[in-house]
Amino acid sequence: MTKRGWVSAAAFLLPATGAILALRLWPAAIAVVQSLLAPHATTFSFDNYTYLLNDPTFQGSIVTTALYSLLVNPIQIALALALAVLLNTRLPTSGFWRTAILLPVAIPQSVSAVVWGVAMRPDGIINGFFAALGLPQQPLLSSPQQALACLLVIVSWIGIGFWMTFLVAGLQEIPKSFYEAARVDGANAWQQFWYVTLPQLRRQLAFVLVADTVGNFLVFAPVQILTRGGPRHTTNLVMFEIYTRAFQTNDVSSAQAATVILTAIVLVVVIIQFRLMGSGSRE
Amino acid sequence: MTTSIWLRSLRFIAIVACGLAFLLPIWWMLVTALRPRGEAFRYLSLSVWSFLPNNPTFANFIAVVQGPFGRAVVNTAVVSLATVVVGLAVCSMAAFALAAMEFRGRAIVFAIVVVSFLVPFDAIVVPLAQIMRSGSLQNSYTALVLPAIGNGMVVFLLRQFFLGIPKEVREAAMIDGLGWFGIFARIYLPLSTNALISAAIVLFINQWQSYLWPLLVAPAAGYKMIAVAIAEMSALQTVKYEQVFAAAFITSLVPLLVLWIALRFFGASIATTGSKE
Repeated sequence: MTKRGWVSAAAFLLPATGAILALRLWPAAIAVVQSLLAPHATTFSFDNYTYLLNDPTFQGSIVTTALYSLLVNPIQIALALALAVLLNTRLPTSGFWRTAILLPVAIPQSVSAVVWGVAMRPDGIINGFFAALGLPQQPLLSSPQQALACLLVIVSWIGIGFWMTFLVAGLQEIPKSFYEAARVDGANAWQQFWYVTLPQLRRQLAFVLVADTVGNFLVFAPVQILTRGGPRHTTNLVMFEIYTRAFQTNDVSSAQAATVILTAIVLVVVIIQFRLMGSGSRE
Repeated sequence: MTTSIWLRSLRFIAIVACGLAFLLPIWWMLVTALRPRGEAFRYLSLSVWSFLPNNPTFANFIAVVQGPFGRAVVNTAVVSLATVVVGLAVCSMAAFALAAMEFRGRAIVFAIVVVSFLVPFDAIVVPLAQIMRSGSLQNSYTALVLPAIGNGMVVFLLRQFFLGIPKEVREAAMIDGLGWFGIFARIYLPLSTNALISAAIVLFINQWQSYLWPLLVAPAAGYKMIAVAIAEMSALQTVKYEQVFAAAFITSLVPLLVLWIALRFFGASIATTGSKE
């Protein structure tokens, strides 16, 4: 390539790569450097990390985030898959209902949190439903046993339709002849799902699993708006923990260390999940 | 064949039930927004009127638009539109270079793009907010727009689309005397309207929804974004729930319409080309 060609390539690339380097990768580098500088220290050390990893609040937040991830991701993907299979049909208006289920993803998370928060008040409409079913009033968001489950319901209402849309697209790519062949071999509906649908959906499922897991590590608005990590730290997910450290208690050094740990966990999860699903391609 | 009809009806009923379950909270948001002041909690023992407005009024909508929330709507519209315009220009240029031009280091630049969307934006807000503060950029449109324009995912998606345009097209254009910018602006962009529209929708909805970043860098009333404004309204001591719901509905309506229209015109592929960050 000529020198002039290189100059024009650089002109095309500079704005985007400049923005990415300065506003995405540079901050990540700063986080790494600052996480290695203890408050008032002049030499690098792992003091912030030792402090953080021995801090009961941070430990609790990691445990809560792990528990939440182990629950929310399988539940959301299973429901998204069930809805995708149910709605992948030519029945009249099914296209309309697919759109209807996707719509909540367009609503800002803070709005969904506010609206569901009002619905989940002790005197809210959800308890109205419970009363109509003859169930006792539930404390929901103000209960250490129920608050995390409430957040799970809210983020699932937001996200399931989005993941379903990817899976419906995948289902529609599976050739009809695969199912016919399976039927000729005497496979029932369940066997067709297990031996045709699931293997054929592997690529979409891999993408959804990775993107959903990463998204759920970063849940923030519902926690900050509805529970502030409580009651009794039961919803103190790691993003809210980082926010509290950096901007409420002004402990920036340990917040940077927590940022580095979160980013590392996200990267490791992404890599492991792609390996497990045997697919390096993103949709 | 009667069993088949039964199964189909059953499936249809299941589909409608699931769809309604997802729509119900949005409907309830609208109904509560239309209730007269102080009636948000009046219909909690379930009845028809729990989900129908008894004395519908637009007073709540008028009240919130005239208050500080109105300013937040304007801020969000300005910031979101600026993000779409600048972001599309910046990302499509980079995507074009990565797809159509050959130069040393292309693999490295592409790797930077991929790594950038593997590091989620929300994960680096703490250090980025520090950078913005040291540059005295907090409480400005610049601070809100800048981090959203270099979107690695959008660059990646547009590059994938541009790769589908045959090499012969640009070779012919070069013989006709078009420079790189001419090829980009007069051939690649017009051939890619659908991809550009889905990229615009991703950029727009992401920015309209943004919460954590505006909360950190633009808390001043003059630059407040709606997602933040609404959370603050709901946290007030003297919270007026009907007005909060009116604001919630306005905040949701714009991205809902954008998504709905996009789906009607372009089908579901438009939703799946983008990804939440």
